[in-house]
Amino acid sequence: MARIVSLLVLLLAWQFASLGASARYLPAPMAVFTAVAAEAQSGALLSNLGATLLRVIAAFALAMILGSVLGVAMGRKRAFDDFADPWVVVLLNLPALVIIVLAYIWAGLTEAAAIGAVALNKLPNTIVTMREGARALDAGLDEMALAFRMPLATRLRHVILPQLAPWLAAAMRSGLSLVWKIVLVVEFMGRPNGVGFEIGTAFQLFDVKLLLAYTLPFVCVMLAIETLLVQKIERRVSRWRPRTA
Amino acid sequence: MNDASPAGGPARLEIAIDDKCFRAVGGGAQTVIAGLSLTLGAGEVGAIVGPSGCGKTTLLRIIAGLDRDFRGRVALPAHGKLGMVFQEPRLLPWRSVEDNVRIAAPDADSADIGALFVTLGLSAHRTHFPGELSLGLARRVAIARALAFEPDLLLLDEPFVSLDATLALRLREEIAELVESRGVTTLIVTHDLDEAIYLADRIFLLAARPTHVVEALHVETPRTKMTESEAARLRTAARKVQGALAQ
Ligand SMILES: Nc1ncnc2c1ncn2[C@@H]1O[C@H](COP(=O)(O)OP(=O)(O)OP(=O)(O)O)[C@@H](O)[C@H]1O
Ligand SMILES: [Mg+2]
Repeated sequence: MARIVSLLVLLLAWQFASLGASARYLPAPMAVFTAVAAEAQSGALLSNLGATLLRVIAAFALAMILGSVLGVAMGRKRAFDDFADPWVVVLLNLPALVIIVLAYIWAGLTEAAAIGAVALNKLPNTIVTMREGARALDAGLDEMALAFRMPLATRLRHVILPQLAPWLAAAMRSGLSLVWKIVLVVEFMGRPNGVGFEIGTAFQLFDVKLLLAYTLPFVCVMLAIETLLVQKIERRVSRWRPRTA
Repeated sequence: MNDASPAGGPARLEIAIDDKCFRAVGGGAQTVIAGLSLTLGAGEVGAIVGPSGCGKTTLLRIIAGLDRDFRGRVALPAHGKLGMVFQEPRLLPWRSVEDNVRIAAPDADSADIGALFVTLGLSAHRTHFPGELSLGLARRVAIARALAFEPDLLLLDEPFVSLDATLALRLREEIAELVESRGVTTLIVTHDLDEAIYLADRIFLLAARPTHVVEALHVETPRTKMTESEAARLRTAARKVQGALAQ
């Protein structure tokens, strides 16, 4: 309820602001909605949203899988951690723009370069989070599993993954928002389609209406994924925790 | 089953630990076990009694194969299916009581698990999560888990602590019965001399750190056959050793 009110207030503020400003700089909400409808009708909205979403999913999956494996390995094996940690620190501090530009220079303006660059931006985050998770694994439970000679599959499913789940959820949550923001930049700079590409076009034409017409639906989609999927997963993995207060 | 193995063969539990030391965090090493040896026949119950911090848990971890950083030799009974009740319950907090037992003992059948739950007074808690249990209840789940696994060798690290006296007594009898009927070789750590006397075939009295077996008392009339006079004899013998150690 409070959320709906808050959204309405935002819409109202936007309407008022647009009255004062020229339509070129800030079009009224209704004008933007009409533009959204027009783009949807032509099919351009859906195909661009789809292209961006696919890139988000690909880069996100790549970063999560690679980052989890590397992070857990680093958290468990001290020698590997000592070796790989400097790389992670470098990657963590490398500006997203540098990674993207280098990827495009080295691998050309290709899909692989685009997705790889986004994944590489997200990778160190996942590694650091999952490494913490692996370090926090309960040694007592490990011993218990060992004493009862649990097979690897059982240990993974019932002992290790449930402990890593909150860390995975945290990495996913922070990862998703990071990835979709960077995907737009990558598209802006070197892809012939997607929301980022359309925003680039809008920028060249100084068309704020078109810019918002792509931004709003995309933000809505990402918010929906965030609330429906990520939060549901988070709730599921913490189901066993006794509720406090 | 253990009776398939030749008498005096690998069915016995034979332990000879020459030396076990821990490296302290601040540097240096401290020897926890030195020259400890004990032998337990197939289907026998051994009770380990020793002062706090002497190395009883360390000994069990070595026997269970969880700690291989020691000098010595451990020979387990044949087949070596091992069930362990740790000093802390060590349950999976994200699995229900019943799942905790089933995950560790996937081959146990439902009727057996149900019967175990009844004996241990856990029937009402099957669907609860460990976070919803008292420590005493959690300990019972840990015991149920080890028993459901149907081990050939059962290791128990002070399993009856924080249970009330009646329940502790009942569980003691339960384990005694189990050992009699199934012939599970059992090693139990306890600080309660009476518990040792009423449960064991052999009582191993340990010295303070670095620990070793000071005296191995043989129980002539174990468990159900225990007599007042035998219990008194064992008690006196144990007290004498403990008194001498305390000097
Ligand atoms: N991982 C470890 N690192 C260093 N020292 C340890 C470690 N584990 C145990 N110790 C030391 O070894 C000694 C024996 O510990 P252990 O847990 O085996 O004692 P215990 O006989 O089981 O004691 P209690 O009756 O209190 O359970 C203790 O002095 C303890 O400080
Ligand atoms: Mg102990």
